[in-house]
Amino acid sequence: MVRSRRSRGILAALAAVALLAAACGGDAEQPREAGEEGDLRGGTLRVQMESFVHECNFDPTCEFVSYANMIHTNLLQRPLMNYRHVADDPGLEILPDLAADMPEISEDGLTYTFTLKDGVMFAPPVDREVTSQDVAYAFQRMASQQQGNPYTYYFEGVIDGFELQKSPAEDVEISGIETPDDKTISITLSDPVPDILFRLAMPGTAPIPQEVAGCFPQSGEYGRFVISSGPYMLEGSEALDISTCDSMEPIAGYEPDRTLNLVRNPNYEPATDSPEMRSSNPDRFELSVNTNVDDIFNRIVAGETDTSPDDPPAQFLRQFAEDRERLPSNPVDVLWYIVMNLTQPPFDDIHVRKAVNLAIDKDGLLRAAGGELVGEIATHILPPTMGGLPSDEYDPYATEGFAGDVDLAMEEMAQSAYDTDGDGVCDAPECSGILHISRNEAPWTEFNPIIEDNLAAIGIELETREIEGGSAYELVSTTSENVPIGSHGGWGKDWPDASTFFEALFTSGAIQAGPGVNNNTGLVGITSEINEERELGIEGNLEGIPSIDAEFEECVAMELGQARLDCFNEVDRILMEEVLPYVPYRWDEETHLISDNITKWEFDQNAGEMSFAHIAVAS
Amino acid sequence: MTQYIIRRLMWVVLVLLMITLIAYVIFFVMPPVDPARAFAGKRPTPELIETLRHQFGLDQPFYVQYGRFVQRLFLGDEYGWPGFGFSYATRSPVREELFQRAVITIQLGAGAAVVWLLVGIPIGIVSGIKRGTLVDRAAMGFALFGVSAPVFWLGLMFLFIFWQKLGIAAGTGYVALSENPVEWFGHMIMPWIVLALLFAAFYARMVRGSLIETMGQDYIRTARAKGLSERRVVVKHGLRASLTPIVTLFGIDFGTLLGGAIITETVFNMPGLGTYVVQSVFRGDLPATMGVVVLGALAVTVMSLVVDIVYAYLDPRVRYT
Repeated sequence: MVRSRRSRGILAALAAVALLAAACGGDAEQPREAGEEGDLRGGTLRVQMESFVHECNFDPTCEFVSYANMIHTNLLQRPLMNYRHVADDPGLEILPDLAADMPEISEDGLTYTFTLKDGVMFAPPVDREVTSQDVAYAFQRMASQQQGNPYTYYFEGVIDGFELQKSPAEDVEISGIETPDDKTISITLSDPVPDILFRLAMPGTAPIPQEVAGCFPQSGEYGRFVISSGPYMLEGSEALDISTCDSMEPIAGYEPDRTLNLVRNPNYEPATDSPEMRSSNPDRFELSVNTNVDDIFNRIVAGETDTSPDDPPAQFLRQFAEDRERLPSNPVDVLWYIVMNLTQPPFDDIHVRKAVNLAIDKDGLLRAAGGELVGEIATHILPPTMGGLPSDEYDPYATEGFAGDVDLAMEEMAQSAYDTDGDGVCDAPECSGILHISRNEAPWTEFNPIIEDNLAAIGIELETREIEGGSAYELVSTTSENVPIGSHGGWGKDWPDASTFFEALFTSGAIQAGPGVNNNTGLVGITSEINEERELGIEGNLEGIPSIDAEFEECVAMELGQARLDCFNEVDRILMEEVLPYVPYRWDEETHLISDNITKWEFDQNAGEMSFAHIAVAS
Repeated sequence: MTQYIIRRLMWVVLVLLMITLIAYVIFFVMPPVDPARAFAGKRPTPELIETLRHQFGLDQPFYVQYGRFVQRLFLGDEYGWPGFGFSYATRSPVREELFQRAVITIQLGAGAAVVWLLVGIPIGIVSGIKRGTLVDRAAMGFALFGVSAPVFWLGLMFLFIFWQKLGIAAGTGYVALSENPVEWFGHMIMPWIVLALLFAAFYARMVRGSLIETMGQDYIRTARAKGLSERRVVVKHGLRASLTPIVTLFGIDFGTLLGGAIITETVFNMPGLGTYVVQSVFRGDLPATMGVVVLGALAVTVMSLVVDIVYAYLDPRVRYT
């Protein structure tokens, strides 16, 4: 019972606070307008994510991660070539986008001439037609050293005269790119490159207006001023004052680490596009950061947000496991693997590497990661979605239920010099205290006990160090660190060609010195000469390390098609049976939780993300 | 007093320099990630990484980098004064982002401070006066809960109960006061309460203990003997003396909060300094990280000075020269 006036006053105040919170708490129910039957246009797609994961502040000249790639190629950028932004094989087929048609190719296969479509316009405030010079300028930006961007790798030595130059972009000269008129651009290669059209579909090659981007010479700076040539634009683009560089203020629609809002580009002409490439259904896209991951998915369930590119936490996977319409799942072209350094004992012995492949409980790793909703067990390197063989057709280290087989592993280990008494257990001094680098986050923290136990059964004692993901990559990628084994890593394609899985990961040319730059972490093809010449700082066994360089060169010279794919599948077999730097354990799947507001769901196989180009919402 | 304040302000500068130097050393000795490598993409080359290191100024010796940082801080840079350089992640001036986020963190901290003072001090007073009664036990039970419950758990429970289940709260996120005051309040009330509970509980215990000790003093007995009302004895004579340690504590606590309430901001998705510094550390964004370090250190040292000045007002025996 309230005894004093003061106490009653306090209670009254608290009650008032509660009433006020109730009055302004909770979003009021918004009337949902269902579109007319068959009409998918309209509405706002609301997406939340823990962070934007922009590698380069959304600047198309240097942005390459899947999500930003998807937004640029689906909504904002019209490169010469593009994809359908749909799932599976049709989503990996290359089509002309800004180009009116497939290019004319010279007889020697070196010069590709494109004619641009009429009527493709930059969004406000640029308000003019895209020209071939705008495409050329995009390449100049990539070749300007001031930009410091990662695209240089894809074109240096590929396009004639494309090399890193110290000049600002507008002064860069690339002899292999010519623009005889506003509608024509020809690109001449140094040597035939069968996958060049895929490279020309990357967002960095899309046209860029120099009158805006010229004010931002360093990579990442242009990200808050991106001018669209696609069906959507950054909200507030029309307010950008482009009269001088100093007058430009960041476009309101993109606030790094907070919001990214896209609205229709009023200058976009659907007749210059194709519905199979872009449906452009929603009127608006609202992307926002939410640092509370559980809250993101609670909001999706409550209908306050439509979807997220983040992986749904386990409780949501369980909740919606039977409602696959709310939980669509698509295979992406990503491999997760354990890497063994071929120069570091005991992994410099192929019998040990084979024993490890036989011992690992891949089914356990998959279940620890979330089960079949997060992927399928990988039995070799090239994912089936990239043309690799399905697991039931090729599994060189098959075990019952993919659970690993200690007996088979011990049989293999007994053939190794590190098993001194031939009992199937690694017992040499090199078998204990082996540094194992992994990540300090789920699901790797769940993987590590499995991996440790599996390898302990064949006598390999790991000392696991769990560190932040980026640091793990950097450490294992630094050749001079001589890390024996790492389970932190995964790899996804750059474009839908098998070469992008093999070149960076397994050719000796890809091995580089310096912190965090080497992707060939197994050191396939390394020799003492390479180690010395490139000052890699590798200390270990450098003799007799197998190489796939010759096989790779043979495959990459082939024209696109089945023969090329067969060639790369053979490289995969060689890697799995004769080189074996990896234990591949999962081909990834992207699973999304979506709200009832989404009336049409589509997946962009090339970007490995939901397809903004075709998604539709009710309101 | 003026001389004292000037001397203390000079100490503020020295403390700032020491703290920023330590932070810089930590960043160099134990970098979370090489920012140049992080922004170099999937197929980095040593040349690309060198270019980025040059853009970020990371190719200079440590002492040169630190010297430039101090110079920018005190003299300003091309983006204004004070100068914090540009963010490696967003390629935008750190200054703008810092101040925008500081406003949000100040709102969060100030609101929580009001709540914890309004809740903690009265509870502590009532508990101190009614020592040994059921009211005292209930109050200290609340205090035990408040200091024991982790902030992240409290936040998640509040969201679950009031937003998800009851639907009476606004949920996560931030709406600017200028945009919609009612929605602003609706989004702030839960983070205020969650953040304040720990402090309220602690302050309740502090006030209780301090008041009990003060009320046992001779001058309190004298005041009662003079015939003053109990209310006057407690408020005018007891509280004034017992609240001085609370003033000191409040200054430090509030100053620390201004550096960013990381957990509360993360749970409630508030774009304040706390979430900013976490993102920046993980990305190796040194200028952004140092910006938050500077603001946080400044907040604590300035609040410490304010507290000392208020202390002199509360306790006439304290005189600064």
